[in-house]
Amino acid sequence: MNNFGVIEVAGGKTTRAPGWAYVPDVGPSPAQALQPTNRKGRAARNQAGPSAADVSARQDAKIRKELEALDRDTNKDVNIPIPPKVGGSRAQTNKHTPNVRKILQSQKTFANYLDDYQALLALAETNPAAAAALNPANAAPPKAAPPSTARNSPAPPPPEPKSTAASKRSAAAAKRAAAKEAKEAEEAAAAKAKAEAKPKAPEPLAESKDEDPPQSYPPDGTILPAYQKPPPPAHPSDNDPLLVSRIPPFPSDGELRALMTAPPLSYLEARGTWGGEETGYPTRVFCEVCGYWGRVRCMKCGARVCALDCLEMHKAECVTRYGL
Amino acid sequence: MAGGKKSQLSGPAPSSRTLVIDNGANTIKAGFASEDNEPRIIPNCIARDRHRKTFVGSELDKCKDFGEIAFRRPVEKGYIVNWEAQKEIWDREFFDEKAPQKCDPADARLVLAEHSNSLPALQTHCDQMVFEEFGFASYCRGPGPALNAYNDVQAIFQTPRPPETVVEYPAEVMLVVDSGYSHTTVTPVLQGRPLHQAVRRLDVGGKLMTNYLTRLLSVRHFDMRNDTYVVNEMKEAACYISLDFKGDLEKTWKGTRGERRLDYLSGAGIAKDYVLPDSHTRFHGVVREYEPGVSAKARKGAVSTEDVLTLRNERFVVPELLFHPSDIGMHQPGLGDLVMQSLSELPIGLWPGLLANIVVVGGNALFENFIQRLQTEVLQRVPDACIVRVARAQDPIACTWVGAANFARHAHVETLAVTKQEYEEHGSAWVARKFALGLGVDCDPTG
Ligand SMILES: [Zn+2]
Ligand SMILES: [Zn+2]
Repeated sequence: MNNFGVIEVAGGKTTRAPGWAYVPDVGPSPAQALQPTNRKGRAARNQAGPSAADVSARQDAKIRKELEALDRDTNKDVNIPIPPKVGGSRAQTNKHTPNVRKILQSQKTFANYLDDYQALLALAETNPAAAAALNPANAAPPKAAPPSTARNSPAPPPPEPKSTAASKRSAAAAKRAAAKEAKEAEEAAAAKAKAEAKPKAPEPLAESKDEDPPQSYPPDGTILPAYQKPPPPAHPSDNDPLLVSRIPPFPSDGELRALMTAPPLSYLEARGTWGGEETGYPTRVFCEVCGYWGRVRCMKCGARVCALDCLEMHKAECVTRYGL
Repeated sequence: MAGGKKSQLSGPAPSSRTLVIDNGANTIKAGFASEDNEPRIIPNCIARDRHRKTFVGSELDKCKDFGEIAFRRPVEKGYIVNWEAQKEIWDREFFDEKAPQKCDPADARLVLAEHSNSLPALQTHCDQMVFEEFGFASYCRGPGPALNAYNDVQAIFQTPRPPETVVEYPAEVMLVVDSGYSHTTVTPVLQGRPLHQAVRRLDVGGKLMTNYLTRLLSVRHFDMRNDTYVVNEMKEAACYISLDFKGDLEKTWKGTRGERRLDYLSGAGIAKDYVLPDSHTRFHGVVREYEPGVSAKARKGAVSTEDVLTLRNERFVVPELLFHPSDIGMHQPGLGDLVMQSLSELPIGLWPGLLANIVVVGGNALFENFIQRLQTEVLQRVPDACIVRVARAQDPIACTWVGAANFARHAHVETLAVTKQEYEEHGSAWVARKFALGLGVDCDPTG
């Protein structure tokens, strides 16, 4: 039997296997290989086999390919055309506005739009005017009105202090700037709260300067009103120092205001950040055949299997994929 | 800031009906705020079965044979991307002569729940379609998770209170975990306003989990890659979230060579048999108690005409991806860490209120043990003194719609809604900015 150079170490009695701790090999862990850290340490330990780098690259490529497949909506590329309507439909074809015609004809995927957006952001940094021109939000509505009406309208103004310069910037760049401002305002408010014993109404956010006079600003404690119902009946141990709970100070209205008016993050900014293995738990590895802990590794491709049974099953696939 | 009211002096008469839509990637939830207490659930897809018959939206209810059925979905990653398909579905469900929820946009307001952190171009497309193509008289696009604050949140937690208590919308403070088809998001909400800087997303949702189960089955049993509809039903019927992952994994291991473990042979209460649909007499799969040897016999075709497969660790390693996406090599934090990343953006004074009011919505909330597991994961990460309450909305699939419908009846909607005339005067960039700013803080919290 070809063991692919692997000796089974997990006996039948290792019922308390914590998964990641039983891996007997000294080669690189495929999960670690995806992390940019510890490259040097890894290189030093990579003496086990000449193909260690290949093995890890094979595993990386496999994981990437599998993640792409898991993200897809369908297994096969399907092209399902819109079926014709069977009577009773609205007779309104060919009456689309230019904007609508463009939208309906677009065959772009989310990934395409995301690429466009990232490119627009990059452009906005170097050439704001060009970026604004490309921004679809600036497309003319059917009956365009003078742009100045926006200032007099009852709705909130754009989230910039300088509305003249702002109107030329792309919405994307504007959002970003507003995010920065909000963050700064938030930090400023926090700093103020520290410096002063009782923080007054903090600087209103730049965006509300021209239309929302500071006096409309609610006094502290009005954004989230205090508990107003009668307190629970007293208890003899209420003043026991061991039982006093420490409630963190409630944020000032200034902080709350900054949080409640901050603009949305972009798609990529909102994604949770991976802390890597230093901050989290060790990555768990599983048998590719049966799903139990992956305690042994195929020396040919880096795949993990639980024991010899599954290794043999893996071997068949491995040989097809990478040859003998 | 009664933008809507003011301009109606010169604009059209106030719209008489409000159509509320939560436009999900898998299903649309739709209904009229004035008439409906719960939404109609509409498959948001154009489907084609193996006999090459096409079904649009709710026509899918007429489909019997889901074997090898293929889908085209207008919503990708939670956002409306393909308007050619979306318009066709909306037309048939809402605007055509014989539409099940016939609506005259010229005399109606649309309240549309969207996912946070969309791309500006996609939002603009949506606004342009709503006004330029469908011609709604008035329109409001808002973040779905935050609209859940317009639900009776304390009823979800079964907080004791006097029976005469009047429920006030929006809820003061809550942390919404929305786990749907495309992804899972964490949204802290204060007085109905999402705290945008602390919104976080994990790219694990129902689609990825179904695809993962499909892959596991294809490796271990038989190729089901063209049967994701069938696999999805199996996932919904048989998968659960483990409260003891290591223990459950032990119980489902076959053991080493030649020595089958007792737990494996008995099924240990975890193994289940799943009878696949045969598209003649059985159109949906069925979960059965595990019977040793049944699936092996069935596969040989000797005894039964049924296709049966035994599910073991597949039952819990699939939803485990919500808490350990790194199990498949994804470099994203699990839901417990995601909640902490969201909280870390906020002053610590807000934590007690948020942690005591975690509400889980979205279809994945229906996985057995979701609430208990999330509570455990969060408790492990916060200071000991913190009270952590996690609850599932009574109807996690409909509750964003119910919140949106309550919002549509609340004075807040007037602050945010935009009329067709305003759109035509100020343009789509102005509309986008208005929706991005949201309610602000200055409108009266009680409306
Ligand atoms: Zn195995
Ligand atoms: Zn191999």
